[in-house]
Amino acid sequence: MSKISIFTKLPLAILFTVTMISSVNAANVTNAVAEDDWADDSWGDDEWQEQASSAWQFSGFAELGQGNFLQDNIVDSSSSLSELRARAEISYSAKTFEFNASGDLLHDQVISDTQWQTRELTLSASPFSMLDVKIGRQVLTWGTGDYLFLNDLFAKDWQSFFSGRDDEYLKAPSNSVRLTAYASDFSFDFAWTPTFTPDNYLTGERFAFYSPISGENIAPGDDFLVEQTRGDQFSLRIATTKQGVEYAVYGYKGYWTTPVGFKASDTSAANTFNANIIKGNVVPTDNQHISAYFPEMNSFGASMRMPLGKGLFNSEFAYYNSVEDSQGDKANIANSQLRILVGYEQELAKDFTASMQYYLEQTLDYQAYQQSYPQSNPLYNSAEDELVDEFRQVLTMRLRYATMQQKLTYNLFAFYSPTDHDSYLKPSLNYRYSDQVSFSAGANLFFGEQAHTFFAQHKDNSNAWLRLRVHY
Amino acid sequence: MAVKTAQRQLKTQSAQRTAHSAQPSLIIEQVFIMKNIRFIKFFTAVNTITFIGLLLGFSQFSQAADLTNTDDIIKQANMASYYAGDDGSAQARMIIVDSNGNKQLRQFTILRKDKQDLGDQEMLVFFSRPTDVSGTVFRVQKQVNADDNRWLYLPALDLVKRISAGDKRTSFVGAHFFYEDVSGRNPAEDNFTLLTTTDSVYRLKAEPKNANSVEFAHYIIEIDKQTFLPLLVNYFDQQGNNIRRMEVLKTTKIAGFNTVVHSKITDLTDHSYTEMQFRKVKYNLGLPDNIFSERSLRTAPKAWLK
Repeated sequence: MSKISIFTKLPLAILFTVTMISSVNAANVTNAVAEDDWADDSWGDDEWQEQASSAWQFSGFAELGQGNFLQDNIVDSSSSLSELRARAEISYSAKTFEFNASGDLLHDQVISDTQWQTRELTLSASPFSMLDVKIGRQVLTWGTGDYLFLNDLFAKDWQSFFSGRDDEYLKAPSNSVRLTAYASDFSFDFAWTPTFTPDNYLTGERFAFYSPISGENIAPGDDFLVEQTRGDQFSLRIATTKQGVEYAVYGYKGYWTTPVGFKASDTSAANTFNANIIKGNVVPTDNQHISAYFPEMNSFGASMRMPLGKGLFNSEFAYYNSVEDSQGDKANIANSQLRILVGYEQELAKDFTASMQYYLEQTLDYQAYQQSYPQSNPLYNSAEDELVDEFRQVLTMRLRYATMQQKLTYNLFAFYSPTDHDSYLKPSLNYRYSDQVSFSAGANLFFGEQAHTFFAQHKDNSNAWLRLRVHY
Repeated sequence: MAVKTAQRQLKTQSAQRTAHSAQPSLIIEQVFIMKNIRFIKFFTAVNTITFIGLLLGFSQFSQAADLTNTDDIIKQANMASYYAGDDGSAQARMIIVDSNGNKQLRQFTILRKDKQDLGDQEMLVFFSRPTDVSGTVFRVQKQVNADDNRWLYLPALDLVKRISAGDKRTSFVGAHFFYEDVSGRNPAEDNFTLLTTTDSVYRLKAEPKNANSVEFAHYIIEIDKQTFLPLLVNYFDQQGNNIRRMEVLKTTKIAGFNTVVHSKITDLTDHSYTEMQFRKVKYNLGLPDNIFSERSLRTAPKAWLK
């Protein structure tokens, strides 16, 4: 496997390098032209003029990424990342509207596939002076957490996050309508996603995950049956800032964004199965007949962010109402949750910033949840000790150091759960060789004692990666 | 409204006061403004005061005496450097050259509005180059009596990231200009001594009140006597080595305000440097308060960025 992939990757890498070098040369030439104009101290340089006056803007980059698992993993590929990506961005700015499009042509060697991925395709306008509208495929973000999301229920791409792609790819786009209205000191955001857009969660195609039904890590890939949902998602935020303190309240109506529900995929058996699984005495003989799905979920929450001492303090909470399991007694559907976050960030020294977060995830109706997972249930291999803690806690720390005139940055992000006794380290560095060329390297390292906990289940997914990006 | 106009003219006047009167065009401008002031005088009671203020201003100008009070010099320099007009906009570009001669470019548009002269300010910086930072917006609420509030908008993630106040003497987007060089160092941070007054400049020595907060032991600043623009600043370490230099390479008078349009900061320890140029500088545009908000991070106020 690995021999073959090295041979298939090598020509790709050479091709990429040649392309890169030629584009760097092209960039140098452009720079040289620009520098001449600097020398005579004038702004009359055509390139800049054009840049400023043209309503059309084109840009993009090419990126080569390679990452490998640091140990044997049960997934098909030994690579966690192996791709060549070409990004194209185009925008048009008119007086009354704005058009933005961007997307990637991605050759993904891990899944041996080449595909076009549209990241943005939007029309934006302000039909009234106090209203902004953005319609189309877009990335949406809000909330105060760093790599922890409470009220931000917009789609995430966990596969990208685990594989070492740029942070940009942690946020997946959705086809949505976003309205933002402004009145006095308040802003009202409303986002409607007509067709539910789930996270790009782990399926086993690239990364393995723990199955409570199998009692071990699985990598089902295409065999991971997930029943798709086509309903709406509605997200709301009302925000204001008073004396430098930012306040926001949030609401969400939709579905869990990962498939945290299970049911029989065979409809004739579904009713009996579901009735039995709820009672905790079902014995499904064949896992193939169970499919995961996205149960309905509504939430509300609030956040605040303010300067405190020399740094920044933020806190946020969210209440997740798992509508289909409002009593918490259905073993096949995730219970309601209360999520709480507090964080603090401070620059400790010049170009050195540290931040910490404390995150609490309380599973509500815990007793009902416990009772729905009886020891005797053969569906769940070793039920009791695999239960999610009632109060799952996570501490995070980020250290960021920039040097060489900010051209070289080191980043360490660490998740540690004192309740699950597991952790996830994300060290990385980024070197900006020039405005065109940058190089990044990093790792995703998982540690833990038990096979099933949130981070520990990914121990075999631990990987290291490299990326080289050239802007054009 | 008329009061506001008069205040603006007062500012314009005070900016002009600092210039040589020998230029005929300037005299014409002054006469024009005088006429305007007289015109307004008939309509508003407060203008009597404004008018007197202007006359006083003129009398100061006509005396053209050297200032001896360091506070006055520094205030005027701060005013001329960072508070020209009630608001302003400009396009800027920087060329960053490292010690090996490798170059990087940054291009951005700045919008600024003063809440009060020599006081708090609102600022927005819209990046257009290089392409990987295009669309990034930096927002600052400069506060004289508290740490600044700073936000960064990253369009690829649709993320409004708040940045902790932190060290203002860190590089602004990889350039040799510090945040403080862009938004202005608070004069209250330093103790100033007037060293010499030449025909053209005031030379002052500044020592930080909190030596641990900065990388220099002191700096020597040369302020143009006419425009009050600092034209040369040399920073020295404990051993007296000149470690950093800011020099103004070109100034132009725009809408009555003497404006630095080309400057350079050199790291004298390795001779790397950054040059910054401005174009399309405008003052007193009447920027509305509400554009200095989170809205402008996501939806750029195009009308003001032309």
